[in-house]
Amino acid sequence: MVQFSHLTKTYKKRNVVDDFTLSVDVPIFGFLGQNGAGKTTIMKMIVGLLAPTRGTIMINGKPSTDVAAKTKIGYMPETPYFYEHMTGLEFMRFCDELDGSAGTTGRTEHYEKILKKVGIYAARDAEIGTYSKGMRQRLGFAQALVNDPEYLFLDEPLDGLDPIGRREMKEVMLDIKKEGKRIFLNTHILYDVEEVCDEVGIIHKGKLLYAGPVKTFTAGKHLEERFMETVAKAS
Amino acid sequence: MKNIWTIAKNTLKLEIRDKILYGIVVFAVLFVFFEIFLANLVLKELPMVKSFGLTGIYFFNAIIALFLGTTSFFKDIDRKVVYFVLSKPVSRAQFLLGKFFGLCLVLVITTLVLAVAYLGVVAYAGGGFDALGLLAIAMQFLEMALFIAFAIFVSTFSSSLLSIVYTSAVFFLGHIVSSLISDAQFIKLSGIQYFLVEVLYYVFPNLEKFDIRNLAVHQVAMPFLSFAVAVAYAVAYIMFLLGVSVWIFNKKEI
Repeated sequence: MVQFSHLTKTYKKRNVVDDFTLSVDVPIFGFLGQNGAGKTTIMKMIVGLLAPTRGTIMINGKPSTDVAAKTKIGYMPETPYFYEHMTGLEFMRFCDELDGSAGTTGRTEHYEKILKKVGIYAARDAEIGTYSKGMRQRLGFAQALVNDPEYLFLDEPLDGLDPIGRREMKEVMLDIKKEGKRIFLNTHILYDVEEVCDEVGIIHKGKLLYAGPVKTFTAGKHLEERFMETVAKAS
Repeated sequence: MKNIWTIAKNTLKLEIRDKILYGIVVFAVLFVFFEIFLANLVLKELPMVKSFGLTGIYFFNAIIALFLGTTSFFKDIDRKVVYFVLSKPVSRAQFLLGKFFGLCLVLVITTLVLAVAYLGVVAYAGGGFDALGLLAIAMQFLEMALFIAFAIFVSTFSSSLLSIVYTSAVFFLGHIVSSLISDAQFIKLSGIQYFLVEVLYYVFPNLEKFDIRNLAVHQVAMPFLSFAVAVAYAVAYIMFLLGVSVWIFNKKEI
């Protein structure tokens, strides 16, 4: 379970995340909000890239930035950047070494299996500098899986992918769900949320407006319509 | 410790794939070999060959250290590659130290390449095995390691361009602070002016401690005490710079 308790992040006296309190224990949870709503800031705080001004984030009862908690998570940043002179396979190994699993037998096969799953196996020995935007997104996703995490935090994972790529990545997410892992997904694309998420959290100007099942939120209407209504009401 | 080694190893691997670094090293090696030509034509005396070679190695290593120190760490932050690293069970201190040791490893390799070229040229010019020259190169390496630590320190709070400016300024000041204080004493400077010179002397690294090129050229052995003091000074200064860098980096919003 992931628990956010009174999470607040303040920049120059402005709360970009404002007293955010939530407990999540569903297979796929989607943070939904406009650009600048605070989704990325929350995700960065989860993995320790930013420090909260106030509040806590606990994963299975431990602070999310504890080493014990970090070994159980995978994170894909928004618009991932890489070491251009590394190959895809080398990058996987590097991430695995940092996660502490490299060196055990069968790791190369493990990386290759993940790269096949995300569809860039053929480019595994090519330098990342030669990868397209879509391939970079896929590699960003792949490295998040390298330590076989219990929790996956994906920041806009479907950005930059073509329709086929989006479909494939969503299928990967649903496969991961079947393995019993938990996925947190940041997105501003409503269609993706409807398709893969069990529950959503609607965030607007750093505040949580709604958290719960998608169907309860839509109440028979289109997600887009309900989202616009909710955001307009809060503005 | 394992994470520091992983990051250091990765830094080494990536930097030696950088074409700019290759360019500098190839040019430096050519420069050292060019001495053979000069030795025959102009530099008739062995000390001249040694002086020319050691200064060349120093100059090119300084360019390499400046290039590595001011770009590598900053680029990882600026291009957000660090997001991947720090989302793993890796502390910011481990990342920073890994980058530092990785860059030092690159410098070890470039220094070894240039040292081998230098020793070959000196032997060719009839100087045999130049052990003191090798010691001078090792001392230069210490200075460059300090240089890298300073560049990383500046990179924790400023841009790559400013890091080049600040690090170059410290390089310059580091070589004049010792003569500055002697000159101040010689002309009997006092009051606030002398205090300011003293501040410069104690704040900036005294890089002259690592310059034993003249001793090596004239085959004068470096006293062991001076050697030990220089090593301890470099280690202490580097530890201080890295400590402050980690402190700043821990507070930095990335």
